[in-house]
Amino acid sequence: MTPASLQGGGPEPTARAAVVSVAVPLRSRLMFQSQTSRRLAFGYLLLAPAALYVLLLVGAPFVFSLYLAVSDANVGDPVATFIGLENFRSALEMDVFWIALQNSVIFLVVAAIFKSILGTSLAFLLLQDFPGKKLIRGLVVIPFTLPIAISVLAWKWMYDSQFSVINWVLSRVGLIGQYGTDSWPIWLGDPKLALLACIAVNVWRTFPFSAIVLLAGFTSVPLEVLDAAKVDGCSFFQRFRHVVAPMIFPILMIGFLFDTVFTLSDLSVVYLLTQGGPANASKILPVLAYQIGIQAGNLGRGAAIALFLVPLLAPAMFLFLRNLKRREY
Amino acid sequence: MATAQTLRQKERRRHLWIYAGLTPFVFIAVFPIYWMLITAFKQDPDLYRMDNIPFWFNLAPTLRHFKILFFQTNYGAWIVNTMTIAAWVALITLVTAVPAGYALARLRLPAAENIGISVFMTYLVPPIILFLPLSRVVAMLGLQDEWWALVVVYPTFTIPFGTWLLMGFFKTVPMEMEEAARVDGCGYLGAFLRVVLPVSVPGVLTAVIFAFTLSMQDFLYGLAFVAPGDQKPVPVGVPTELIRGDVYYWGSLMGAALLVGLPVAVLYNFFLDRFIQGITGGVGK
Repeated sequence: MTPASLQGGGPEPTARAAVVSVAVPLRSRLMFQSQTSRRLAFGYLLLAPAALYVLLLVGAPFVFSLYLAVSDANVGDPVATFIGLENFRSALEMDVFWIALQNSVIFLVVAAIFKSILGTSLAFLLLQDFPGKKLIRGLVVIPFTLPIAISVLAWKWMYDSQFSVINWVLSRVGLIGQYGTDSWPIWLGDPKLALLACIAVNVWRTFPFSAIVLLAGFTSVPLEVLDAAKVDGCSFFQRFRHVVAPMIFPILMIGFLFDTVFTLSDLSVVYLLTQGGPANASKILPVLAYQIGIQAGNLGRGAAIALFLVPLLAPAMFLFLRNLKRREY
Repeated sequence: MATAQTLRQKERRRHLWIYAGLTPFVFIAVFPIYWMLITAFKQDPDLYRMDNIPFWFNLAPTLRHFKILFFQTNYGAWIVNTMTIAAWVALITLVTAVPAGYALARLRLPAAENIGISVFMTYLVPPIILFLPLSRVVAMLGLQDEWWALVVVYPTFTIPFGTWLLMGFFKTVPMEMEEAARVDGCGYLGAFLRVVLPVSVPGVLTAVIFAFTLSMQDFLYGLAFVAPGDQKPVPVGVPTELIRGDVYYWGSLMGAALLVGLPVAVLYNFFLDRFIQGITGGVGK
């Protein structure tokens, strides 16, 4: 119930008691009512453009992608007919689909492990006070702030089959042989290395994000609360377990889920480095969906493959939503 | 006196340990950027020789790669496209997200909190799920193969993020200001335009910056919707047009990437904390 309607309802009984006083409360009630409806009308009016945009260009396309997935739509032929779950069935029958699914999961898990290790250590370092902290923090987060399609190019050059600077160093140190020998790794051309090379770029790009999210979590714990716990006789581990952990957990969760969504659905790293090759060794679901949907023009099957990401993303989204609501209240 | 000195020494030693721990991180983070920088200014023969130490110039630095970039490719057009797209996206985001954020934060709409969360959730619907249906939308609007397609599509992620960010921001503006304005005879619109908006300039500015930097982070939409060489934005044009078959113009590629990437990275850097606050829901702290 809004405050205005409470106030509007209040004077009513007194209004019935005396004829003379009717005019004022009635008018004020009407005024309050019209003010409420005016406020709501104004609110919805302000909300409308954003809501419409999102409904028309996110909501409707999402529903449309469900429709595409059960149709035989393709680029050349705009008249699509309903073919049921045929696209999903044929996707499940493609070997490359299973390879891509497996690679997507490996990508997500391996990258998550490395970025949490790197992110946590970096966060603990940045938690300290030292001269030049701002500058160092600014430098360390550059990978995350650089547009992804642009930084991938630097890596493509660093992974070059012949002039790789990584190999130059490894070769000088003596870990690998000369160019042309078997021990010279061709990062993007070797089926055993290609996916790892792509994962490394993702880790490089997102470990600063993990660190900053962790830092935000740590700094959200008020010092007074920690001091109070200390005064009450909590040990360091008790403080961590019962005070710090519950307070930073929601923030960590949200950062983690964000990262999951963006890592799972990002195609730019793999697409620009290897296009999913060699021989599908680094193919992940988004790249497959793009290649089938746009390059091969099979919109229906492409949409179906992209939708296979939904069951992977749905738990993340759900947890995210729950966390967010818990934080609000 | 002696204790103060040992304390200071201890402190200095602690700092040294921290710097030692941070060095590998800074190195990992910055080396690829350094490598781009030096590649962009090296002469070709210097790039493709493995017997020299590659970390510094073995031949005189050159601007040749940038000349190629500006005179033999569409790079200039891409920069103009990128800026124009970003400006339009920022404008669209402003005129939609500012009122929406205000309405959700201040006008006590029923279920405002839930509406806000749902709008923000759409930010998490990944482009990879939306790009196929959106390609139909773009075709329907007759915008395929023009950068205008991206002006239509980018707000699908800047509006949800901007609305959420501004919702948090407007919550921090003291309520009394509006009430005072309304007592003084302003309507709702007047209070919003004349009282709330002027003190919200920092929040609005942040939303503009994000509309700008988030547009720059896109690759998929640009790749899928804009094919003609002169219509692309920089992050799409550089990797797709400057690589011709198996021939790589590494010097020009790195120059092109850096020239636009670095300013964006620096700008984003300043607003990173706002971004993190925005997504972790701790807005307005």
